[in-house]
Amino acid sequence: MFESLQHLIAGFGIALTVNNLFYCLMGAVIGTLIGVLPGLGPIAGIALLIPATYNLNAVSAIIMLAGIYYGAMYGGSTTSILLNVPGETASVITCIDGYQMAQKGRAGPALATCAIGSFIAGTIAILGLVFLAPPLAEAALAFGPAEYFSLMVFGFIVLCNVTGTSLIKSLMMSVVGLIIGTIGLDPVTGVARFTFDSMDLLGGVEFVAVAIGLFGIGEVLANVEKPLEFLEGKVLVPRLRELYPTLEDLKKSFRAILRGTAVGFGVGLVPGPAPVIATYSSYMIEKNLSKHPEEFGKGAIEGVAGPESANNSACQAAFIPLFVLGIPFAPPTAILLGAFLIHGVTPGPMLIGEHPELFWGVIASMYIGNFILLLLNLPFVPFFANILRIPKKVLLPLVILFCLTGMYTVNNSLVDIWIMLLFGGLGFLLRKLDYEGAPLLLALVLGPKLEVAFRQSLMISHGKFEIFLDRPISMAFLAATALFLLIPVFRVIKKSMRKGGSSRG
Amino acid sequence: MNRDEVIGGTLIFLFGVITVYFSLQMPIGTFRAAGSGLFPLGLGIILMGLSAALLISSSVQFQPIKENTAAAGAARSTKKVVFFVAAIALATLLFKPLGYPLTAFLLLLALLRILGVRRWAFNLSLSFLTATGAYLLFVQWLQIPLPKGWIGL
Repeated sequence: MFESLQHLIAGFGIALTVNNLFYCLMGAVIGTLIGVLPGLGPIAGIALLIPATYNLNAVSAIIMLAGIYYGAMYGGSTTSILLNVPGETASVITCIDGYQMAQKGRAGPALATCAIGSFIAGTIAILGLVFLAPPLAEAALAFGPAEYFSLMVFGFIVLCNVTGTSLIKSLMMSVVGLIIGTIGLDPVTGVARFTFDSMDLLGGVEFVAVAIGLFGIGEVLANVEKPLEFLEGKVLVPRLRELYPTLEDLKKSFRAILRGTAVGFGVGLVPGPAPVIATYSSYMIEKNLSKHPEEFGKGAIEGVAGPESANNSACQAAFIPLFVLGIPFAPPTAILLGAFLIHGVTPGPMLIGEHPELFWGVIASMYIGNFILLLLNLPFVPFFANILRIPKKVLLPLVILFCLTGMYTVNNSLVDIWIMLLFGGLGFLLRKLDYEGAPLLLALVLGPKLEVAFRQSLMISHGKFEIFLDRPISMAFLAATALFLLIPVFRVIKKSMRKGGSSRG
Repeated sequence: MNRDEVIGGTLIFLFGVITVYFSLQMPIGTFRAAGSGLFPLGLGIILMGLSAALLISSSVQFQPIKENTAAAGAARSTKKVVFFVAAIALATLLFKPLGYPLTAFLLLLALLRILGVRRWAFNLSLSFLTATGAYLLFVQWLQIPLPKGWIGL
């Protein structure tokens, strides 16, 4: 523990250099803007900004990109409270009571509670990251290909179980992503697959193009299809009579913040869209524990404090599997994995030993970033609110221009732009047909790793599948996977039994 | 039977079939020494199975065909989306010959028009200012090598 603190202090030495402080600030500001603007979430935001980090060293680049991720989580709450429009999916729950508070002229305390709660949650979660990551990394050294394969399968199944409306559809998206991930050179034999003699596809499908297409262009197209009135934009004057919460507000919020932090941290460690699940769970917990549950939905401050804290805590905790195992459990961290690889760093159990300056520097920067966001979010709320006045019919073409420019700069290739457009169309279609894009993107990033782990395991076992069951850690993951697959089946049986019972009664 | 489920399920099933077909053109090998086609072949088969299961389950559930599309369609405009995508595709085609600043200007002009910005003076000035700003930011300040085109900027 003492050693971790020493490393963290050294990390602050790295994060507090003028250069890294600048990129931390940039990440926090850009992230907040991305979070504020509906239509451009953290996934497309990080993907778009990756090319801007090409000339930076790995530490500065990851500091900035991580800042965009947690900055977007902060910013998302602003639109939820002021406009009843969530800036990103994790802020949906904040709309319920946050907007009601704004309607009663209490937007200021709601926004301040979000910022304070997010700061406390982020800080505690970072401490968790500091003390949990090193021992977990040591434990992860015992992982072989079979364990990695089973863990990734577990991750996919959990993600599929908690995203979207249908497990089967999410599984289909995962498999489609895995298939797209096989395009390019076979990672084991070097044979070209599904490239159709195109040199551009030999390196595989550019994941940045897929991310921007599915989550940037796809979202813009979904907005374009909406009625004209929607594109006009609402001119809203946020009522910020008083910015700071009262002592009573703080008293009510304090426990909710701590509970939200704990829930968020726990959820962040397991696969899935952690911030979304964390906010929902925290809201339900606060409502159930409250002496006045009837106030929820009518502007209860606990309904804002808990979920927003959970959101940020989950977001920071999600860095643990990425740093320690090299396996992202959610699309934003999958994009960050891609950024790590672009900068020549492979996250995993060896990361802390091989790149201590990166690991501890990024963690320290997160703490600084949280502080910057606290300072940034409170006084600049009116500024961010003004950005929301820009009508969507003006904003959407700007997003498209930014996507095109950003995509071209990745490889100076028009093929990437075509791929981005193709996936933009696919993203739009998937939304219409009620499919989720998140499992596809995660599968695309993890696909090559999954295949290598699968094939190496079978090589080691001379083609016997028992290797996945003989090794205890691998078997535990597969057992958990089976359990998650059976949950929907149990639900259906329970439902039909209830139906049967009621019809008899 | 839900029409959307049938369309989605069928398209993905066909994607699985295509994957299986092209995987079989590659060496499959054995489980001990897998060829490059084995993994995608397995994935294609799983995808076919999953989409078949979706198709069967949606046909068994006897859900009424969604009729709300007509009402929603009145407000929504798929035509607008088609024009929007076509404008982006055209801009991609013209990106190299026309160069970045000119393409950006024309693209913005078209997209703003498609989205209902009717006043030409506003549309022209906004497109010009944004394209100029983007050019100064990306090309002049960040030194990103974007296509210069025939205007040479």
